Amino acid sequence: MDIVPQLIVNSIIAGAIYTMVALGFNLIYGTARFFDLGYGALTAVGGYAVFYFYKSLGLNIFFAIVIGMLVSGLLGWLLYRFIYAPLRERKSSSMVLLVAALGAFTAIQAVIAILFTSQFQTLSTSAGNDHVYEILGGVITQVQLITLIIGIVLMLGMALSLKYTMFGKAVKAVGDDEEVSKIVGINTRVVIGKVFFIGSAIAGLAGILVGFDTGIEPTMGLSLLLKGVIASIIGGIGNIYGGVLGAFFLGFVENFGIWKISGEWKDAIAFGVLIIFLLFRPQGILKR
Amino acid sequence: MEYLIHIGILICIYGILGLSLNLIVGVTGLLSITQAAFYGIGAYATAILLTTVGMNFFFAVLIGMAITAVISLGIGFVLSKFKDDYYALGSFGFNIIVYSIFLNWQSLTRGPLGIPGIGRPSLFGFTFSENIWFLVLSAVFLVAIYFFCEYLTNSSFGRVLKGIREDEEALRVFGYNTLFYKLAIFVIGAMLASVAGALFASYITFIDPSTFTLTESIFLLAIVILGGLASNKGAVIGAAVLILLPEILRFVGFPSDIAAQMRQVTYGVILIVLMLYRPQGLVGEYKL
Repeated sequence: MDIVPQLIVNSIIAGAIYTMVALGFNLIYGTARFFDLGYGALTAVGGYAVFYFYKSLGLNIFFAIVIGMLVSGLLGWLLYRFIYAPLRERKSSSMVLLVAALGAFTAIQAVIAILFTSQFQTLSTSAGNDHVYEILGGVITQVQLITLIIGIVLMLGMALSLKYTMFGKAVKAVGDDEEVSKIVGINTRVVIGKVFFIGSAIAGLAGILVGFDTGIEPTMGLSLLLKGVIASIIGGIGNIYGGVLGAFFLGFVENFGIWKISGEWKDAIAFGVLIIFLLFRPQGILKR
Repeated sequence: MEYLIHIGILICIYGILGLSLNLIVGVTGLLSITQAAFYGIGAYATAILLTTVGMNFFFAVLIGMAITAVISLGIGFVLSKFKDDYYALGSFGFNIIVYSIFLNWQSLTRGPLGIPGIGRPSLFGFTFSENIWFLVLSAVFLVAIYFFCEYLTNSSFGRVLKGIREDEEALRVFGYNTLFYKLAIFVIGAMLASVAGALFASYITFIDPSTFTLTESIFLLAIVILGGLASNKGAVIGAAVLILLPEILRFVGFPSDIAAQMRQVTYGVILIVLMLYRPQGLVGEYKL
């Protein structure tokens, strides 16, 4: 059997998941200008919220997903309101924010492990008998197809709302220059707070979709986050289309990189790509 | 009593790690989150030399330091191209790459199986097989490295490093080759971490890749930041506090798997609280 079509499909699926993480991360970075690592843990929060409401309490699946997104969005907002916002107002250096975010990340991840044990769980109730489609000679499951569609819809939705709505314009203005935005009467704190809520909800959704596709564990956030960050950087940080391009680029490099070697090398390949980009093209594929 | 000796040895090992990272993060202001990689390289070098060649521990430490020096020189050179956030992110990447190598280069490291049966050090026919003597040995290493770090930070070399932390541009204007200084301290810090790795491998007599993850690097960062940046005393105090704190949690009566997660929560919360209320740490002399 020829392996190339399946590799292509796998790359696209990986790209779709990275797209979602990168979109949320890019939105937050583009506005608040710092690496929100706490964001990684929020993917696990979304996944576990759905696990609790859908599998343990037996709520309707769509309802559970909405709650999952709200929970991770709210937690993201709380992190901003009580940790990042005070630090930013004190004009702390980006190092301080990074370390605080690292702390938030570690703590959230461990709390999830305490509440739900660190065992690997799956969200899907019909494991193994998912609808399967054949595309280009490769196999794709229903969940993966949904992930791909949601990723593209989110990208377009985000690009359009940033361009045409008042809120989107305010977000862009804050990203360009926070001080000036304040002077012209934008309530930057509220705008950034909303951005954190939206971005974190997207992170939650990404975690939920990964949960339905493969499964969830408390430490899932780190690798997802890093992939999202790498995708954003190689695509051009702060640029929505760039992030998507970077995500698919990363998906392809990773999956074709392990063509001849063990799949365990994926993370090393991803960071290898990041370091090469940082050295030779730090502004990414597309500039902001 | 055995238990207290065990804690004492851990404090010595982590004290050395804290001192080594403090040189890089605290004194020079390079936010490196890859120290566990060098800790691991030291541990693996010693473990492999002891189990396969049967070399004397003290020679193995020296060879481990030499190997770490070469690798860290390469990594430090790449990282020296980055600044602030990107520096931290790039160092993240190297930790993950080195971890992948421990995990996947199975012919050398035995991958996830780890290396068992590492011998205790022996000197002139005397073997440090009892823990009390191992504690003495670790304490000697800790004290020697402490005074070495004190000497280094108070020398003219150390003053240049602090200058780099405060204003790298200004030092360049004065004609200092800051790249040389940054690389030198990065390599020295990495070599000291490899000594701690050798002690750890020989004390536990078993190592596997899971000890040298990114989480461990974050823990080491927490030690340095809690103790206080640029303070050698602080690095040792930070190590003692962060080793003892979870032991107290254990006595409160948490089951062991929850206690392990409680440790993570504690580190995370400590990082956040320090960033919010005391960015200079317990006895530190400057803020991030």
